Amino acid sequence: MLLEAQSVSRAFGGFLALSEATLDVEPGEIVGLIGPNGAGKSTFFNCVAGDLAPTGGKIVFDGVDVTKAPAEEHARLGIGRTFQVPATFEDMTILENVMVGAFLRHHRTRDAQAKAMEVLHLTGLEAQAQQRARSLGTPGRKRLEIARVMATEPKLLLLDEALAGLTPSEVQRAIELVRRIHATGVTIVIVEHIMEVILTLAERVLVFNQGRTIAQGIPQHVVSDPKVIEAYLGHHHRRRRARKAEP
Amino acid sequence: MKARPGPIALWALLILFPLLVSLSDSAPFFEDVGATLILAAIGASAWNIVGGYAGQVSVGHAIFFGAGAYVPLLVFSLWEVPPLAGVPLAMLVAILFAVAIGLPSFRLTGHYFSMATIAVAELVRLVVSNWELLGAAIGMQGPATPRGWWDLIFRSSVPYYYIFLGVLACVIAITWALERSRFGYYLRAIRAGERAARSLGVPVLRTKLIAFMLSAALTAVAGALYSIKIGFVNPESGIGILVSVQMVIIAALGGAGTLYGPLIGALVLIPLQSATNTLFGGGGSGLTFIIYGGIILLLARFEPGGLIELWQRLRAMVLGRFSRGAVDAA
Repeated sequence: MLLEAQSVSRAFGGFLALSEATLDVEPGEIVGLIGPNGAGKSTFFNCVAGDLAPTGGKIVFDGVDVTKAPAEEHARLGIGRTFQVPATFEDMTILENVMVGAFLRHHRTRDAQAKAMEVLHLTGLEAQAQQRARSLGTPGRKRLEIARVMATEPKLLLLDEALAGLTPSEVQRAIELVRRIHATGVTIVIVEHIMEVILTLAERVLVFNQGRTIAQGIPQHVVSDPKVIEAYLGHHHRRRRARKAEP
Repeated sequence: MKARPGPIALWALLILFPLLVSLSDSAPFFEDVGATLILAAIGASAWNIVGGYAGQVSVGHAIFFGAGAYVPLLVFSLWEVPPLAGVPLAMLVAILFAVAIGLPSFRLTGHYFSMATIAVAELVRLVVSNWELLGAAIGMQGPATPRGWWDLIFRSSVPYYYIFLGVLACVIAITWALERSRFGYYLRAIRAGERAARSLGVPVLRTKLIAFMLSAALTAVAGALYSIKIGFVNPESGIGILVSVQMVIIAALGGAGTLYGPLIGALVLIPLQSATNTLFGGGGSGLTFIIYGGIILLLARFEPGGLIELWQRLRAMVLGRFSRGAVDAA
């Protein structure tokens, strides 16, 4: 087992954003985390990435207990992550952005640069290597985030809505990139609220609603699960009713 | 590394400066301004490592400058050893201060960190102002007459100018090497976004702390050079808030986080300061604050990247126009 998250909970003050979520990931899998907005999937994701310390439960990665470990320790052990809102280093060039990731395993500048160029080739950003990150649009930034984290040579890649806000053709290209990364032997956990993306990518999904996991299994089964339909559609119904109530 | 004409011309000018002004009637004045300028560039370059590259805007670097200024004069007054011998101890004291300040306050980010450093610096200044051993409010003096070359007492400013220039070259060389190393990339990543840097395995707290220690040690060297040249230091000139603010302003004016930014900033600001001081005499010291305020306003409003970025943008614009002109002609 590469990742074992057992009954992970996280409270913000009195609010329990995540309650006893459990997820096991085998090496080589692509696992999707889905659920409506505010379901707790980002909280869970940030706990696994080390950005938030869980208030309960246990997270073991590759045999090491990382429940309380800081984010940089997660990176060192081989957990890489992207951010929902891209957090690229704006004033640095695209090559330099990726080199920051590459420096984790390659301490000499020349080696880090070689590793970064290799990753830029994989992600198709070679041509823009000398441009500043701020010159990229949203799709480019998301791609750069993936390149940057791939340079840290992760065993497990956590993608936080890496495809949100992209046009259909950009989504296609991004899906191809995720597949290519997966083919290099990286295990992937992907958060997404667009169902289509998960259905085409993930072998297994975990559905969140109101801080709890309500279903788990292969995507085709999960989407026909009444609890999942209710979690998604119930949301829409409520919203529609609320809109009708307005004068 | 490609030899670029800009830096070469700059260094040549700095090396030849005392020769160029030696023809003037007021050569001693220009030489003194030159030495002050290089010293300011050393301080600002040292500040730049943590304030510019790592983006941790310390407004308390006067503590390290003060440690550098006081310790050599203290070892002289206690044991009559040359002030120069106190420089390593001064650097050590500055590093200890950096750890003591950095460990708790690097958990603060942005303005909160800056305010914490101001508060600590003012606290240290008040303590020193009341400490008899350090001359309290009156200050400390170095050797009145040179007992040998090692006391570094010269009538002319030219020897100081060249000593300072050598130290500046060392500080810029260190920064240059840093810029190209893993450590330098990590500093810039921290400046650009701590959370993202952490997610890529950057040990943020440790990196900031090491940068702070290095910056403090080099700032202490600037302080030591100051007190050795002047032969005197008091709480205001050693640890006053203007000392910290001057480093920040010079680096920001030239371009914080760039190799030559602090030197460029000093080349503009110090002559300006000297000019106003001579024009308005003693009453001009208040004018320094007005100039600082004006520079802060202009930088914040128009050019946060400083003069270096302004220059790069202008050059890109002119080059762009030229190449477009060439295309039109063809």
